[in-house]
Parts: sequence; C-alpha cells; structure tokens
Amino acid sequence: MILDLGDIRAADAPRVGPKMARLGELAAAGWRVPDGYAVTADALADWLPAPARAELDGLLGALIPAQAAADPGALAGVSARARELVEGQPLPAALAEAVAAAHDRLERRARAAVADADARPDADAGAGALRVAVRSSAVSEDGAGASFAGQYETYLGVSGIADVLGHIRKCWASGYSAHALEYRRRLDRDGAGTRPHALDLAVGVLELVDVRSAGVAFTLDPVTGDRNTLVVEANWGYGESVVSGQVSPDHWTVDRTTGDIVTRRTGDKRVWSVFSPAAGRVVLEPAGADRAARACLTDDEVRHLAQQATRIEAAEGGAPQDVEWAIARGLPFPDSVFILQHRPETTWTAGPQDAGAGKGTGEPAAGFDPVRYALRNVFRVPGA
Amino acid sequence: MPSQEEATRVPVDDFVRDELYPGYKQPFGGQPFVAGPVRPFSRADNARYWLRDSLHFSEGMVPASIATLDDAQTWGAQLGAEIVGVPPTRGSVNRLAGTHVYIGTIDVDTEWQVQARAARFGQYVTPILRDFDSYWAMRAGELQAAYDHLDNLDLSAMGPAAVWTSLKDAYAFHRRAWFIHFEVMYVLTANYLAFYALAEEIGLAGSAVSGFLAGQQTFYSKTDEELWRLAGRARELEVTGPLLHASPDSMRAQLSALPHGAGWLDEFDAFLEVYGQRTEETCRIDTPSWIEDPSAPLYAIGAFLSKPTGFDFFAARQQAIAVRDEQIEAARRSVNGADLARFNEALASNQAANFAWWNEEHNYLIDRRAAIPVRRATLELGARLAADGRIERPEDMFFLFKEELYGLMEGGVTAAGATWKDLAAMIPDRRAYFEDWKRRGPELPTMLGTIPDTVPDPIMIEVFGLSGRFLEALRGGAARGGIVEIRGFPAAKGVVEGVARVITTVADIHLVQPGDVLVCGGTTTEWTPVFGIIAACVCDTGGSLTHAAIVSREYGIPCVVGTALATQQIKTGDRVRVDGRAGTVQVLASGQ
Repeated sequence: MILDLGDIRAADAPRVGPKMARLGELAAAGWRVPDGYAVTADALADWLPAPARAELDGLLGALIPAQAAADPGALAGVSARARELVEGQPLPAALAEAVAAAHDRLERRARAAVADADARPDADAGAGALRVAVRSSAVSEDGAGASFAGQYETYLGVSGIADVLGHIRKCWASGYSAHALEYRRRLDRDGAGTRPHALDLAVGVLELVDVRSAGVAFTLDPVTGDRNTLVVEANWGYGESVVSGQVSPDHWTVDRTTGDIVTRRTGDKRVWSVFSPAAGRVVLEPAGADRAARACLTDDEVRHLAQQATRIEAAEGGAPQDVEWAIARGLPFPDSVFILQHRPETTWTAGPQDAGAGKGTGEPAAGFDPVRYALRNVFRVPGA
Repeated sequence: MPSQEEATRVPVDDFVRDELYPGYKQPFGGQPFVAGPVRPFSRADNARYWLRDSLHFSEGMVPASIATLDDAQTWGAQLGAEIVGVPPTRGSVNRLAGTHVYIGTIDVDTEWQVQARAARFGQYVTPILRDFDSYWAMRAGELQAAYDHLDNLDLSAMGPAAVWTSLKDAYAFHRRAWFIHFEVMYVLTANYLAFYALAEEIGLAGSAVSGFLAGQQTFYSKTDEELWRLAGRARELEVTGPLLHASPDSMRAQLSALPHGAGWLDEFDAFLEVYGQRTEETCRIDTPSWIEDPSAPLYAIGAFLSKPTGFDFFAARQQAIAVRDEQIEAARRSVNGADLARFNEALASNQAANFAWWNEEHNYLIDRRAAIPVRRATLELGARLAADGRIERPEDMFFLFKEELYGLMEGGVTAAGATWKDLAAMIPDRRAYFEDWKRRGPELPTMLGTIPDTVPDPIMIEVFGLSGRFLEALRGGAARGGIVEIRGFPAAKGVVEGVARVITTVADIHLVQPGDVLVCGGTTTEWTPVFGIIAACVCDTGGSLTHAAIVSREYGIPCVVGTALATQQIKTGDRVRVDGRAGTVQVLASGQ
C-alpha cells in the first residue's frame, strides 16, 4: 500500500500515478530528486468508511450524469459538503500506521543525508520537522490524451505525521472540488454514474526542497512548437507561482543544437511562492522590487537546465517534455538542481494545429493522418 | 391480356434516328465520358501542356488500341480522380500526335470544387488506408476471378457470335480493371505524398521516402527471381549457348537440339504458365503476351547469364533491403519526439499501403494483362472474319476502331455508314500510317503546347517527373549546344562512369550490353531485367516514384531521372559520368 520512492518504477504507474512513477524512474536513473514515498491508489480506493461512501454517493449521484446540466451553484454547494465530509473521516488504522512508518523512514533518510552532506536543503527547517509536499497523483493524470492536470491539489510545507495524514485526506477531498466534479460530469467516466465517490488517486509525500528559484523547462517552444528551441521559465522561490501562471516569469530560449542562450527576458515577478513559518505552508507573497526585476537564474544554470531537460526527453524516447525543477539554497551548483517532475508536452504532441483537421474524415487529428497531410501539404487545399 | 408475342415486343422503329437532335450527330468516340475521350490535337490545345507518354506507350497505337487507351489513361483516370475526389485534378486526358500518346491533366480551378472534393476525399480514402490489405485483396480477387474466366474460355470451340460476346465481355472487363487501377493509384499516391510532405516537415528529404518503401516482394520481383533461377538452371544443364547468342527466332530450335535443352524448355514453359500472361506495353492490342512470344523473358535470362559470375540476384536484393533498413534507421536517429512518432506512423501507413510496392505489383493484374483477353478474342474473331473473307488476316482487326467493329458486328455497317468492304479497303493505309508514325516516334518532342512554369498536380510531378527544374530544362534545353552536364532528379545513389546506350523503345532492349549506362525516355516493368546488367540508368522523365528510380535502388545502381532531354543530348557511345546522389550526368567524351 506504500512504496518508497527508491522502489517505484514506471510499471507502478497504475498504482502511484504517472507523476510519481516518473519520479521513481528519475531517482533510479540517478537524477537528483526529492526523496519521498507514495500511498498507492489501491490502498486509498476504499479508505472511506461505508456510511461516508453511501452519503457521498447520495450527494454526488445527481450531479454526475453527463446529461445533467451544470448548475454552478448546486455544484459548489455539493462540493463544499463533500469535501467537508471526506476531510472529517479518519484514515483506516492500518493505512495510517503504514503511512507513519513510511514517513519515519523518510525522515531517517533525510537526517542521514544531512549528516552525510552537512548541507541538506532543508537544513534550516528545524530539528526533526522535515517539511514535505503532499501531492495528489491522479492515476490517469498527465496521460497521453487530455490533460487532467490541475484537477487535484498539492500542499507544500506540511510537517509531522498528523499533518501528513490530514493532507492525504485533503488531497482525496480535492477530488470533489467544484471544477473536478464538473470535469467528471462532462466525461462521466469510470462508471462514476454508479460509484460517484470513486476516485483514481494516489498521493505522493515528498521532501520539500528549500528552494531559491524554480520553474519549468520545455524541450520545445510551447508557443510555436519549434523543436530546436528549448525554453526555461523561472521565478524566485517555489515553482508554484510559475506553474499556476500567477506571475510573468523570467524567460530564456536556448538553441537545442548549440546549447547557447538565444533570448532572455526578465519577467515582472511581483509575487513569489515562499514557505511561511506563520502559516506553516508555502504561500504566495508579494516580492520586493529588487527580486521582481532581477533574473532569478544565472546563464550557467539556464544552459544546464535546458541540457538536463533534453536528457530527460531522450530518456523518454524523444517525446517532448515539460520539466519542473528547483534550485536549492545552500548547495553548490550543479548539485543544487533538483528535478521535481516531468511530463509529456501535450500541446504540440497532439499534432500541429488541430483546426481544420479531420475535415471530411470525422477523425480527430492523430500524429500522422495521411488524409490531413495530403489535403494540407500535398494538394494545398485552403483551410485544410 | 395481350398475347405473349405482343407483350415482348414494342417496336422502336418509329423512334430510330441518325441524329440526337436535328443537325446533331454524336461524334465518334466512346460516350459518355467523365471529361473527354482520346482525341487528335486541335489548335486550342496549344494553350496547355502535353507530355509525351513514351513511358507507357513508346511505339504508337493501332486503331483497336485507342479504345483500350480510352478505358485506361483517359476514362479510367478521370473516373478514378472523380470518385476518389482528388482535390487539384480531374485526372488525365490524352491527345494523339499521329499515333503517339500525349498526356495532359485537367486542373480543378474553382475554389468551391476544390473544397467539395477535399471533403469527400477524406471520406473515401480514410477507410481504404485503414485496412488496405483487405481492400486490395478484394480488388485483386475480383481481377483474378475475371482472368480465371476469360483466360479459360475455349474460344476456338465457339461459334462467331459467342466469340463476339466474349470480346464484349473482355472490353467490359478491361474498362473495369482500369477504373480499379486509378482508384487504387490515387489513394496510394496520396498516402505516399503525405509521407513525403511529413518527411519534409520534420527535416528529412522527401525524396528519401520512396527508398524507405523499397524491397517489398512483388509478383514481378518474383518473376525476376524465377528468371534468375532459370538462368542458373541453364548453367547447370549447359544450355547457355543459345540463350546468349541465338537470335530470338531460332533460339527454341537451337535449345531443343542440346542434350538437356528440351528439359530446360519444359521448365521455361512451366514458368510461362504462371508468369507469362503479360505484354510489353500497356493497352496495346497488337503486342503479344510472353506466352505468345517469349523473346523478352529469354532475353532477360540471357542478360542474367551475361552478368559477371559472382553476381547474386538474391544477395543484391538482400543488400537493397539492408540499405533500405539502414536508411530508415538513419532517418529515425535524426528526428525525435513527436516527429519520430509521426515518422513511424507514416512509415507504418505506407508499409501497409505501399505505392512503391503497388507500382510494380499491379502491372501483372492490370497494365500488362488487362488487354490480353481483348487481344485473344479480337484475334479469334479476326480468324473467323478472315475465313469469311471479310478481312484478309486476323491481325487486320488491329486497324479497326472498336466502334466500327460494334457497328459492323451488330448492324453490318458503321455509324459513318461504312461496310466491311469499305473498311477492309482502308486497312493497308491505316497500317502504313501506323508504321510511318512508329518510325517518327523517337523524334517527337517530349512536350507539346505551352510549357508551364509549374504543374499543380503532384502526381504528375512524382510519377512523371514534371518538376520545375524539368520544365525549365525543357524550355531552355533545346537551345543550348554542347551540353556537358545534365541535371535531373537524384533517384538512386552511386557514381559510375561508362558508355552510354540510348534506347527509345523497349523493343530495342536487346541492344543493351553489360556495363552500359542506359539512357532512355523512361522504363517500365518490361525493362526490369536489364537493370541486372547495366551500370547506371538515366531517364528523360520520372520522379521519385518512377519505375526506374524504384528498381535502380533495388539493384543498387546509380539512377538519375527527370532529365527532360538526356536521350537527345547524349548519344550512344558517349562516355558519361552518372552521379545518382547529386542527380547529374556529365558527358565526358563524345562517342563519335
């Protein structure tokens, strides 16, 4: 029911979600990633006590069918009650004990690493209180098709086993958020019509790196689809400000062939994500004028990140990737560079510009559709 | 109740007219047409381009072959393009210069029609490409069933009326076979060109694509293997002498005189049983099948025998496959990510529905075979008519138009009012006309009418090689003297120096010597065995999908196609250097 990161491989994706599976593969391949463990989807599948399950099914049943019109008011109301209900349920004792044991193992490993290096990124985190990220890891998320990203929540800066267990429940509860419910209503997938409470969700608990700067590296230009252009976007602090689009990040383009930085644009970084000791978690705060206008990476770091991203791409059989990374405080470059997750780039891999695709065929645009290429590129039919 | 006799006949006599409307007599030629039948040139044709199709019809057409040409490159292409919905073209149309065939295209030039065709193109093509194997098996099965029927008719035992009925069946089948031809051709060409476009999009050379699709076994490559095997058997049985040196006419007699000659001929005849239902050119009623005249396969065996010892046909094919696979792997290494995925999909799609394969394979079911039942029934009917004194000999039938024959057979008189006697009197003139034009064939211009800057039909570019550079060479080439370098499409790599042998018709193929650089208008399946002995191939016409390009890659010799004017600029005996990668041919020294 629990897998330590060191034991997770690609084949575990159906149990831990592709996100955690990829992280396990990265760790096994020797990449610097945050340590952690995964609570598997099968371990969580029936964690809710039967009465809570029945109550949830009653609440959600009316909303799920695809035919039901979306009523945002009703959806929000049901969502709030469902989340409250779920967060209030205790985890089964056996599961809670297993999580506690895994968490204890993680803390021991972290302490050992600090003793080894004497400069672990969480060195200033305070004795014994290992800060972690509790991440939802949807088993079907980030799949090759439609992106499910953003349907579930992630909590940064959690510490202590009680808090971890609570946030595992919160992750699960986030599966009943209004927008997740709306998404499921549209898809009406996985037999949700008969078991509305069911979620296909694992949870990853990962050491929280003490981040100086973080962001995303793309192995193609996400705007143009140009495969020879690598893009790095970053902000000070945790990458959440970049990923959530709440800031205009620093932006670099790197030539894939030469490895040289081609363009650099310093963003308008008015906010950043930082750990707030008062809140006990990572929060979004206004950034000072000094930080806002100053590039958050050195050129060496940009080139290194671009190169690392292409290496991950190569390891993924060449499929374009977006790679989330972080640079830790207090470690010498390049040891400071952590890979947090990566996933196939979905905007462009679906094929350039679906507009007009499948014209006359009723087919969605797959990678190579001979009819589409013939009409557009060979016969040059306008609009094809 | 009317009586039975009254019920079965309502006379049409009162409605019979010569004219459809007062003053309008339907013109000669098979109607209705999708666009237009085979016609002689008219002055209006000066406004368009017309390419000499020596690739398919090098020697000219007798009157009886005009109907089969109508079925094929004219009507068949027009209906195929119409039904598949190819957006830019409504197919091809033919004109005759004397007896020689020129091909033109019918561009779709309104935006609405292009869009309407594009919409139905996808609906038609997608399901076929999704399961091409089953689709082609169905079509090939239909064709094979027709041959099983038509080839096994015992025509000599039939009465004349039944022979005429069989000839009409053979005509009907011929037309159907050619519709299948163009239906499949347009679908597969689109698939190939889509791969070509994708390759260019992801930074590969589109021209490399046909190389990725080489090496799939076809009925014709099996034929060549059998010829190679028979060459080996001739060595074992010590009967190579006549095969290498005897003239076609005396070869069989000389072979029979050798101790194991009869045994070898039995093997050869068994080969013809399976592979002999083919002719040397397309649509021509006047050319015999291999079974009737085996000099072409005997020549091919002789060509294999004259290859230096050590040459191994199978090893050469294996090598070609290895080269193909290496090219595919090199292409895969040079792209990645989504591009690689698309490349792999396109390759898989084209391996499953492979134009390069079908371009050879279909010949044995359509191009070189569909006219044989028509020829057989025509000659049988001709024998009866000669016996009746209507014509002098069976071959006179070649000089009657199909419509004339219909008129004579079904009403005793043609639409123009001619009787058997009138037509029999015309046959010598028509025969002389054919022979005269046959002599003039090699002098005919490659292109007539207005030579365009570009041709919008991509099929004409890839199959016939009408690239911008080809057209430019045609415009300027004739004026330039002392050409030292000829440029064309780089069809198969390799660099070779050798002596040029200019061949303008497949009938002269026996003149080719081992080690020659073959220079010709273009090659078809009948030329394939010669690739086993030549050092390089240079063609006036052709693009990446041309027969010469495909076969050269499989035989591992350099090839340059689409040179426009090589047969005019190079003379037999010239020393030339062919660079198949650069697509150039240099004349190093004149043979004179």
